[in-house]
Amino acid sequence: MRMSKIVRFGADVLFGAIVIFGLYIIMHGHLTPGGGFQGGAVVATGVALVIVAYSYEEVIGMVKKFVLTIQESAGLVMFAGVALIAIGLGTTFFFNFLANSGSLFGMTVPFGPNSGELNTGGVLPLMNIAVGIEVWGGLAIIILYMLSGIGKTEEA
Amino acid sequence: MIETIIHVLVIAGLIVSATLVYYFRDLLAAALASGLFSFLISLEFYLLQAPDVAISQAAIGAGLTTAIFIIAIRSTKRYEEDAP
Amino acid sequence: MRKELSVLIIIIFGLFLGLIALDLTFGEPDNAAMDDYFIRNGQEQAATNNIVTTIVFDYRGFDTLGESTVLFTAVVGVGLIYRKLVRGDADENE
Repeated sequence: MRMSKIVRFGADVLFGAIVIFGLYIIMHGHLTPGGGFQGGAVVATGVALVIVAYSYEEVIGMVKKFVLTIQESAGLVMFAGVALIAIGLGTTFFFNFLANSGSLFGMTVPFGPNSGELNTGGVLPLMNIAVGIEVWGGLAIIILYMLSGIGKTEEA
Repeated sequence: MIETIIHVLVIAGLIVSATLVYYFRDLLAAALASGLFSFLISLEFYLLQAPDVAISQAAIGAGLTTAIFIIAIRSTKRYEEDAP
Repeated sequence: MRKELSVLIIIIFGLFLGLIALDLTFGEPDNAAMDDYFIRNGQEQAATNNIVTTIVFDYRGFDTLGESTVLFTAVVGVGLIYRKLVRGDADENE
């Protein structure tokens, strides 16, 4: 079933805004409410909007299952990998080895309320990005599998 | 005081939308009312100062669940039949 | 008969939840020692302003690894179920 032209145009317009908002939530997960899981779910909502608005044949051309599968696996591997690097450096699993180091994401934070700086947090932004990529791929591919399950029996 | 009024309004909206889900014969409208229910719950989470949970609820409850319902309705019938 | 029974069950369940909700207090936990430790040291140890993210990804990172594994397992399960349904066209539904 094809949705009407109004729905498809609205989905096209809103898709970019939703994706940008989700990426903002992922990237600012260590400063503002939200984080990897929430931001990834918001981005997956944008993908689901496109999947709902277009028909099965058009969606297969736009959203690739292969890419989403790779995304999900890569997110989980990156998340566990960042945690394992800490063991390689001689500390404990999930140790925040980048915090207060002065390098990437390594600025110090004063105690108490402050305006925040994006270049802080140590490994937390990396883990936010990893979980965000994983949740994006995972939730989007669940919707896509459900669409392909009904794709052949769809009513006109 | 004003906070209590907003809480009461949101909870009244929750009850109304849950009742609408039960009474709609048009399943697409019922799915959208279910999405409205999730959105109002996320508003209530935000009022209770849990913005993390509010974002999760708005994305998954109001967005993805409604999308799954709409996909299921697309492949079946849109209108509910009378009970036998 | 069935309708009255379901209304009765709804009323009893609502009263049950309402009585529990009346007994709850917000913002004053009984054991606050751990919370105070996180709030006092989170900004310094993890260099992050958002204490919730600090707890989720740093202090309790192992829980988040389990949560990610749960999501991955769910996706694998959904994929296995629908792979059997759409075996006819293996080229695009692999």
